[in-house]
Amino acid sequence: MNKIHKINKTPPPIATLNSKNLLSIEGMNKLEINSLLDRADYFADLDPLKIIKTLNGYVILNVFFENSTRTRVSFELAGRRLGAEVINISVDKSSIKKGESLLDTANTLSAMKPNLLIVRHPESGAPKLFSDYLNCSIVNAGDGRHEHPTQALLDALTIRRRLGRIEGLKIAICGDILNSRVARSNIHLLTTLGVEVRCIAPPTLMPKSLENLGVNCFNSLKDGINNVNAIMLLRLQNERMSGTESPSKREYYRFYGLDEEKLRMAHHDAVIMHPGPMNRGVEIASSLADNEDRSLIKTQVEIGVAIRMATIEAVYNAQK
Amino acid sequence: MHKNNNPILLKNIRVIDTSQNLDQEMNITINNGIISYFENSKKNIPFNEKDFRSVNCKDKILSPGIFDLRVYLNETNNENVSILKNAAVKSGVLKMGILPFQKPLLDNPIMIEHLIEKTNFNNDKFFYPYGGATKELKGNEIAELGLMAEVGAIGFTDAPNCIQDSLVMRRVMSYAKMLEKPILQNPEDKSLAGLTASNSTTIQGEMNEGEVSTRLGLVGIPSCAEVMIVERDLRLAELTGVHYHVSNVSTKETVEVIKRAKLNGIKITCDTSPPYFSLNELELSTYDTSFKLSPPLRNEEDRIAIQNAIFDDTIDIITSDHKPMSNDTKILPFTSASTGASGIETLLPLTLNLLNKSDVSIMNILKKITLNPSKLLKVEIPKIKSNEKANFIIFDPNEQYLINKDSLQTSPTPFHGRPVQGKNYMSMMNGEIVFDNLDLL
Repeated sequence: MNKIHKINKTPPPIATLNSKNLLSIEGMNKLEINSLLDRADYFADLDPLKIIKTLNGYVILNVFFENSTRTRVSFELAGRRLGAEVINISVDKSSIKKGESLLDTANTLSAMKPNLLIVRHPESGAPKLFSDYLNCSIVNAGDGRHEHPTQALLDALTIRRRLGRIEGLKIAICGDILNSRVARSNIHLLTTLGVEVRCIAPPTLMPKSLENLGVNCFNSLKDGINNVNAIMLLRLQNERMSGTESPSKREYYRFYGLDEEKLRMAHHDAVIMHPGPMNRGVEIASSLADNEDRSLIKTQVEIGVAIRMATIEAVYNAQK
Repeated sequence: MHKNNNPILLKNIRVIDTSQNLDQEMNITINNGIISYFENSKKNIPFNEKDFRSVNCKDKILSPGIFDLRVYLNETNNENVSILKNAAVKSGVLKMGILPFQKPLLDNPIMIEHLIEKTNFNNDKFFYPYGGATKELKGNEIAELGLMAEVGAIGFTDAPNCIQDSLVMRRVMSYAKMLEKPILQNPEDKSLAGLTASNSTTIQGEMNEGEVSTRLGLVGIPSCAEVMIVERDLRLAELTGVHYHVSNVSTKETVEVIKRAKLNGIKITCDTSPPYFSLNELELSTYDTSFKLSPPLRNEEDRIAIQNAIFDDTIDIITSDHKPMSNDTKILPFTSASTGASGIETLLPLTLNLLNKSDVSIMNILKKITLNPSKLLKVEIPKIKSNEKANFIIFDPNEQYLINKDSLQTSPTPFHGRPVQGKNYMSMMNGEIVFDNLDLL
């Protein structure tokens, strides 16, 4: 088993955010990001039974307008471990069907005086809309094609714990970047922390002017992962695989699916990550996904809870 | 309040009548709705001022009312015909072309006739309807263009839809040519302007494609989706000989193509609206839905190209492209929010703002909101001269203020909080005062 690199020996302070909301990584500075990573790093090693429940009485609503299991459970567990009350609401099944507008739903929930709304929504910018109209804190748990900030934070901490640092690394992000909020958050976070970021996608899934975000773009996986320290794979939706953005699954796999052979181009220690849920045999070979020396996919999920604890706590602190 | 038949004396007013190429400081009297005295201000006034409601209009401008080429008569929760009309006369708009996109659609002669009857009282011709170019504006079958022309349709368009099918466009153009009416196109290649996720679902583009759309995670519309349609249409315009008019030019490339076509003698005109020479795509960075427009706001290079095309007369007309939307449809996440914004109340000041950007003459700028639309639609605007009925607006071209959405009657505006200059103070139609703030001058 690989050893875990620890940066802090004494417990780090509660992370500091410049806002009471966490809507996007874009706009956050190095200090904010690192303080979240440090705090989450500390939580990750703590025995959950020994965590002091500082958020007693704090009410968190998990408002998910889109199906999600792992992110919702991760936030829920994070809130509960800190002593907060977490209530899950899947809105797609209730009010929206009755024609209630998003803001009315938000106002109804807000009248119940929650301290924090954790929002996932299929449309880019929806959490920003909530924050414009509501007084409580908002944490973005994924909005459309825009951002998924806590995913990027947990990815960064996973890498830091495994490779001992972030600054100066070369990291590749590969797959459907055009439609990926995970990619956008990761790009902002990694470039802010001084990583050389390479984005790899077929031309049909590469957004326009992406290089203006400070990354290098590649259409060839082999060129893109040359000597990288980590490869972040993105999920491909099946409906994009039938001749619209990509000719077929097998052609995609041939050129962009990560297997042992292509992985040889990367740094000999390179690690593989995936935000899940993954399509085996489309973006990643099954054997690689299960290779625990290389794949950090399970660790990512574990670190997710710690990152979300640090986030909830930081937002709580910023409200005071 | 002064009665309409009180004689008015306007002293030292700068008269700019684009239809007569007249720009002169004058003294004018209006008696019983008729311009009775109309002389250079240097001449002594040959009557007693005390008999008049006398106003010193030094540095104010008297001009024919604005002819707003394209207006959507959206009866939303916040707007109806009378609100639109009030907002228009207050803002100096005295004639407007009404687009067929409304409920019910203006794609048949009965609706055109109905609209004309419903909205034009006492020979007070204010609304000029276009007919839909195709049935239900769907772009598949030609609408009854001949019958609609007979009852008063001034031109044809499917706006805000773009006619995608080349054969349909050719046929519509041939008909419009026969009827000697212009065809207006809102150019946008629909299949290119979105994302097709699978064979069945197309996700509509939401903003200009570029760095900003990439950052925001919104679906981009490439700017070439506009010029591609214009280039195709130009071939068809040459083939059919129709008067082809491009609505809402928003990209640099479209400007270049139109400029070339004009040099080649093709019968083409075009317009744009204030958002495209005043704003760029960066406005969207907070997901503010009042900037969700069609075509989308483009980049700064495009904005400058549009502005320059107004100055060099490639762009003939400035219109409000007024498309009011109920506020309820705007306080939604960006993708779900409606497309469009009000514009009729901000057309004059935003157009006059252009005077600060170049040494273009005010005559030339005023032509783009008065004479040129009237020429395109062959609707004469009343001349300003003696013994004519009073038909004009009076505005202060120099007054500076901030646009405030709360003081506008129509919504939503993308220009809230922006500094502008130019304010209308009086509107007269057919000899009647329809808006009068002269006492505040």
